Amino acid sequence: MLPKQFLATFRKLLTCQTKVMQINETRSFFMGAQRFRDVIDRKEMLRSVPKMDEGSVGEKVLDVDTLIHQKGDIFPDADTPNRLFNGIPFKNLPIVNVRVSPNNTIVSMSDDKGVVKLLRSCGVEGFKNTRKGTNIAAQATAITLGTKVLERGIKTVRVRVRGLGPGRMSAVKGLQMAGLEIVSITDSTPVSWNPPRPRKAKKL
Amino acid sequence: MRHVSFIARTVFVQNNDVEAAFRILNRILGREGILDQFRRTRFFEKPFQFRRRINFERCKAIYNEDMDRKIQFVLRKNRMEPFPGNP
Repeated sequence: MLPKQFLATFRKLLTCQTKVMQINETRSFFMGAQRFRDVIDRKEMLRSVPKMDEGSVGEKVLDVDTLIHQKGDIFPDADTPNRLFNGIPFKNLPIVNVRVSPNNTIVSMSDDKGVVKLLRSCGVEGFKNTRKGTNIAAQATAITLGTKVLERGIKTVRVRVRGLGPGRMSAVKGLQMAGLEIVSITDSTPVSWNPPRPRKAKKL
Repeated sequence: MRHVSFIARTVFVQNNDVEAAFRILNRILGREGILDQFRRTRFFEKPFQFRRRINFERCKAIYNEDMDRKIQFVLRKNRMEPFPGNP
């Protein structure tokens, strides 16, 4: 008499049931080899992680050329440096620099020459580690800096943003919430098409 | 060549609407591909990944061009307006 095992495999081969699943058979989540389990878990984990906010809200859509035709005064031109905003020429307006990174946001106020007068970062606000790299922290930092700037007697500023990260839009919003009048927003993210070789890609 | 500070990549804020101005700025930068280039330069893109991306972009450009031609062709017409009086 053949062993039970051989009979079972022979029956399976006859009925072509080696790889086909029965209708009522449900696959257990923990079935399979260790490596398959790791892959499944990791995929689920990656899917459950919320999307990181790069701070580039509003990146898609809209035709810019129609914008220029409709509202021509949105963009600066050659005589902008001498244009007056609240009695101050544009080139003499103080600058608020917002340095944004994926893990932190630093907001500083400098005069038109570039000499820094005030500096606040999310760490100074009291946030620690991962919480520094959030839009709420950036907004709080911007609000405190905004109030300090107003205490100095400065009301109109121009903003310069550098980098991509969670605090990009919220920092500027926080400055406005503090009561500062923002005249213009500039982006001075350092972009190069032939940079020195960056670090290798992170393992996902 | 460096762009002039506060003239290039600058948007004025109208009626204290900071969000709208910021969105316009991000839109322009995104459409021009500046933000994509910035993200690319954070980590090194190996030559094989670079070639894969460039080939994909070339194929996409060819496809988009042909599709646009097709759409413009299909939209051509020389007939009476079927619903006169509509805006």
